[in-house]
Order: sequence, then C-alpha cells, then structure tokens
Amino acid sequence: MDRRSFLSGLALLLTGCMPKSSALTVGSKNFTEQLVLGELLAQYLSRCTSVPIDRRFYLAGTYICHQALLAGRIDTYVEYTGTALVAILKEKPVSDHAAVFNTVKDLYSRRFGLEVFPSLGFNNTFAMVMRGNDARRLRLKTLSEAAAVSSQLRLGVGYEFLERPDGYKGLAAKYGFKFAGAPRVMDLGLLYRALQNRQVDIVAGSNTDGLIAALDLVVLEDDQHYFPPYDAVPIVRRETLDRHPEVAAALQKLSGRISAEDMRRMNYAVDGEKKDAALVVKDFLDLKPSLS
Amino acid sequence: MNDSPAAAIEFVNVTYRINGNRTLISDLNLSIHRGETLMLLGRSGSGKTTTLKLINRLLAQSEGHVFVDGRSTSEWDVIQLRRHIGYAIQEAGLFPHYTVEDNVALVPRLERWDVARIAVRVREVLQLVGLPCDEFSRRYPDELSGGQRQRVGLARALAADPQILLMDEPFGALDPITRAELQHEFLELKKSLSKTIVFVTHDVAEALMLGDRIALMDSGKLKGIFSPAEFLRSKDEAVEPYVTAFRATQQILNSGA
Amino acid sequence: MSLPGFFVAHKHEVLTLMGEHLWLVGVSMLLAVAIGVPLGILLSRRPALKSLILGTNNIMQTIPSLALFGLLLPVPWIGARADRLAILALTLYALLPVVRNTYTGIAGVDAPVREAAIGMGLTSRQLLWHVELPLASNVIVAGIRTATVITVGVATIAAAIGAGGLGEFIFRGLAMVDNNVILAGAIPAALMALCADFVLGLIQRSLVRRPARTHH
Repeated sequence: MDRRSFLSGLALLLTGCMPKSSALTVGSKNFTEQLVLGELLAQYLSRCTSVPIDRRFYLAGTYICHQALLAGRIDTYVEYTGTALVAILKEKPVSDHAAVFNTVKDLYSRRFGLEVFPSLGFNNTFAMVMRGNDARRLRLKTLSEAAAVSSQLRLGVGYEFLERPDGYKGLAAKYGFKFAGAPRVMDLGLLYRALQNRQVDIVAGSNTDGLIAALDLVVLEDDQHYFPPYDAVPIVRRETLDRHPEVAAALQKLSGRISAEDMRRMNYAVDGEKKDAALVVKDFLDLKPSLS
Repeated sequence: MNDSPAAAIEFVNVTYRINGNRTLISDLNLSIHRGETLMLLGRSGSGKTTTLKLINRLLAQSEGHVFVDGRSTSEWDVIQLRRHIGYAIQEAGLFPHYTVEDNVALVPRLERWDVARIAVRVREVLQLVGLPCDEFSRRYPDELSGGQRQRVGLARALAADPQILLMDEPFGALDPITRAELQHEFLELKKSLSKTIVFVTHDVAEALMLGDRIALMDSGKLKGIFSPAEFLRSKDEAVEPYVTAFRATQQILNSGA
Repeated sequence: MSLPGFFVAHKHEVLTLMGEHLWLVGVSMLLAVAIGVPLGILLSRRPALKSLILGTNNIMQTIPSLALFGLLLPVPWIGARADRLAILALTLYALLPVVRNTYTGIAGVDAPVREAAIGMGLTSRQLLWHVELPLASNVIVAGIRTATVITVGVATIAAAIGAGGLGEFIFRGLAMVDNNVILAGAIPAALMALCADFVLGLIQRSLVRRPARTHH
C-alpha cells in the first residue's frame, strides 16, 4: 500500500497544476529587431506598470512564438501584420494596411483569443537590397527595373522568405524575376555579410535593417506593391489583459511612437556598433519622456 | 452418467488429440473409486500426465467425457472444478514472491474464508506435512530445500480441504533419501485423510508402495488396472517388463547387502 | 561569463524550462504506462497479436523523432498545439519499451508457477494480479525506466516545434553560437535523465524481494 500511494502521489505531482506566476512574460523571435522590440515592450511595461516582467527571447521562429503565446508560455510579443495574415492565419496577401490590420485583429480575437494592438509606428516590410555601387551603376531604383537585369543577379534569402507564400515565389512571379541560379539560403544574420562579400548581389532583407545605411546599401522600391504591409503590432493573451488591465492602456499609448528611422538606428546600434540591446532600448526610452 | 455411486472420477471413451492428428490418449475408460489412491504408471509419453490434466480441465478431451463427482467436466464451472481439486506438481510451482504461509493460504483467501479460519487451517496443514508453522510460515521458497518445497506444495494443495488430490510425479525430482522420507509420510497421511488421490509416476516401486490400485498406461492406452499384489503376479505382457525390472533391482540390492 | 555564473543569473529561466520539460516527460510517460501496460497484458493473453502490436511499435520507434513531429503537424487538433503534438509523439516513442517489457515479463513467469496457479483455480484476472504482475514487475519497471530516459532525450527536440522545454536553450545556443546557453539546456536535460534512471532503478530494485533461485 505504501508503494502504491507514493506512486500515485508522484503522478499527481506531475499532472497537477504548474503554478502560473503572476509575472508577465515577453517573448521575441531570434533576430536583432525582435530582440530590440522585446526589450522595448519589457522595459516600457516595467516603467509604466507595476507588473513583474519576465523575458523569453530567441524563440526560433514565427510558429514557435505563436505556439508559445497560445500555450501561455509567453504573454505577449511583437508580430508583423503581414506575417500574421499569411503565415499564421493562412489568408491571401493583401496590400491595404488598414484591411490587413483589421482582418488580423478580428481573426486573432475570434480564433485564438488574442488581442492585437495598433501598430508601433513602422512597417518592416521585406526589402530587396543591393549594394549601393551596383544600384547606381545599373541605374536601378525599383523592383520592376531590377527585373530586367535579374539574370545577372544572384539572390540571397532567409529560410522563412523562401518558404512563405508571401515570399520568394510570389515575388518572382509578380515581377518576372529570373535570378542567376537557385536562391542561396542562409541565416538572416548572414545575408548582409554575404552581400558585402559579393557572394550574392541582391538579398531579401527588411526595411528596418540597421546595416542598410551603415554599409551603403540601397532598398529597391516595391513599385507594384507586391509585399503586403508588415506593421509591427504587439499581441497579447486575453487572459493576461484580464489579469493586468493596465497593460492594455499602456500598449495603446505606445501606438505610432516608433518610426522606421528609430528602428533602423536601434538595429544598427546592436548589429553595427555591437551594443547591448537592453542598453540601446534603455537609452531610447530615456530620450522619450512621454513614454515613461 | 456414472455407474457406481462410489466413482469419484470417471473416464468414458476419452480420446485426446493435439494438432488435429497426434493422438495422446485413445479410447480411455477408467473408473476411480472414492477414497482410493490410484497410481497412473507408465513410461514417458504414455499419456499418464495428460490423463491427469483431463481431470481438472487443464486439457480438454477431443472425444468422450470425464466425470468428476458425477458431473461432466464440461458442465462444471472450470474455476470451481479446480478449486474443488488439489493439484501438486513435480516442480512444486510455489510462488517465489509469497511466503510459505501466503502460498498455502492463497486459495482459502480467494474463497473468502475468514481470517481466523485461514490461520487455523494453515497451521493445521503445515503440521500435516511436517513443517512446524512457527519455523516455516514466514520463509520464502528459495530458502527451502527441495523436499521442503514439495511439502509446501502438498500443503497448498490440501489447504482448501479438497476431496480429490491430483499429484504429478511430486517426488520425482528429489534425492532418494528425501524421496523415501516423503513417500513414507505420504503413506501415513493417506491413513488420516480420506481423499481420492490420483498419482502419476514412472517408478514401479513407488506405485507398488503407495497405490491402492495401479493403472498401467502405454502409448495413450490403458493396459490394465491391478492391485499391487495382482500387478506382481500378472503375466500380462505389458506388465512383465516392469516386474522384471523391479525384481532385478531387488536382486541386486539383496545380493549386494 | 562562467557556466555556474550563467546558471545563477538565469536560474528563473532554467527552472521554468525544466518545469516545462518535466511536464512533457511526465504526461507522456503516464500515458505510455496507462496504455502500454494493458497492451502488454493483452499481448500475453493473445500472442497472435504480437507481430501486429510489436511491429507497429517498432515502426513508430524507427521514424526519427523530428520526422515524426513533422508528420503529425498537419493533423487536425493534434497539430494545432505544439505541446499536444509533442506529448503524442513522446508517448508513441515510450510505448515500445513498456509494451515489450510487460509482455516479456509476464511471458517469463516460470512455467511450473503458472501451471500450479491455473491448476489451483485462479481466474485469469487473479493470475494476473497475484502471480504474473508481481513477478513481472521488475522487468516492467525496467521497461518504464528505459522509456523515461528516451523520453527525456526526445523531449529536447520538442523545442524545435515550439513545445518548450530544455531544448529551447540548446537551439537558442546553437543559433547564438553560445556554449553557455547550449549547456544550460543540455546539462539539466542530461541530469534529468540520470536522475530518472537512478530513481526508477531504486524502485526496480525494491520490487525484487531477493534474487530468485531456479528450483531444481
């Protein structure tokens, strides 16, 4: 009998409630901008609410962040409206910012019980980036112009861009790109280095990449409006908002307060100047008293 | 149905086949009287163990009927039938994870006897087989000698006080001294218990010593039933090899000593 | 930063991930035992099913864990939540050792013991409860022990599909090329496996009253 009660006690312990701490966990994906945004949410909420904040950064991708949010392992993270629309909700890409935001907000609420807050203020759309010299030499300003000479260009992309429906395939179809050879797939962090070292000629980067200004790179204009908007929006679990209603007010105040410029500068500070993300965010928040 | 009211066990035209065509018992007709000790004697493969197992339905006959206490074994609830019959085998088959006491008490416990009655019975039956309860009841089978294990096996078979006892070469694996001891005690036991005992053996000396009657089996057939005296006198050609062998051993022993 | 220093600085996160890992392993093992032991018992009663059940289990185990996770992703309801998926996959992996050992343990009961028990008039259920399971318990727990250690290991891969657990540190550390982070996941996982093995080993030993001698 002793043995049996010991074993059943153990079973109860394992299946029993994992006590959820009252802390609010901020998540992020595993590239620089996400780390900065994660820090931003974490530090901002620390400053204007009394909720204890936990961090769970470096989650290995959109799917994993979404799962973590659903399971309650994180309470919030910053997603991009276009990514949410296509990769998670599996809807067709759309160009209109407001339409995308409303669809995402509505479906996230109905399907997942997650609240989507208004954009932080910038659009981290995909950017097709070239070396400044090449762009000037070939007189390229838009993607349509680049399509004409695409057979001379080798393409570099990250894994997500290659596979996502709103990524490589759609782009190539829309503009008629025929790049030299197969796209070279690599880690996001290595794309610009490869571009700089002339291993590739054009990469699928992001509008807010810090290295764009620092390395004299040029973003080609998406003149046919292929890429859907990727407005940065905080997403929060409804249960979390119920537990901490002050968080909703705080996130509303954050809407529109971060520009693409701000983002590029912070990204560069971390990527280019090798500064600590937490420090960079702290400096940023210190300079914006209205956000404290 | 049974002919004589004294038949505890009856085989009527029993045949046992396995795999459809190998016949281990053919056309067996045998009547075992209540209270007698019947020896099933034969060589290996003669069908004696098979016959035994047909009594408690460990095996089911292919043709014919086996009657226990007047009822066909196929009509008996098989669990009740087996609880009604004590079963002791050569290897004893004691449960290694149970003490002597737990081994012996198992069937009474399953039959839901009350605790006091069980305790009394365990003591009684261990006494009967010559194992003082205080010394042995809490021992485990691997702490016992071969002879002691057989005694426990017998005690276990007797625990629920069945009317019928089946024994399959119970002393076969013991050394000669222990075997002789147990055979002697078995004879004493026979006198105090009035049970119907069916005892399988290949040892003619054992058959002659312990049995009231001897049923000789060969190749699945019953060759004849004899009292020990009749057996020794018999001129039956099936019996002769046994008697010859028996007398030869006797002669060697007599001349040697 | 030194490794111990890292652990101290991130102890909250380490504990959280360990808790998630324990949860994944715990639930899967409970399911594996709840399904596997009865299945093993069934097998001992109907040996004809042996090739079907053990064969299926074998196939499950042969599929590489990451591939199994991937295969289950599109399945409705299961694939919608990473932890559900992970627990299903982990349970499937843990089943084979449990089923096989239960079957072997029961089949390994000495023939004379089984024969005596049946001859004494034990019903099938009584045979199972009083004879087969107690005598097989050592082997069964050995199977559970193997399965648990396997599960702790495979659970680290579950992080790849978003189920959390110590694997998250490992994958993160690989992406960041940071050894401390990798070890922060790998060491607790290894310790967890060793601990489980040790504890179950103790349980296993306590179930054997003493080494059984063969009776001859």
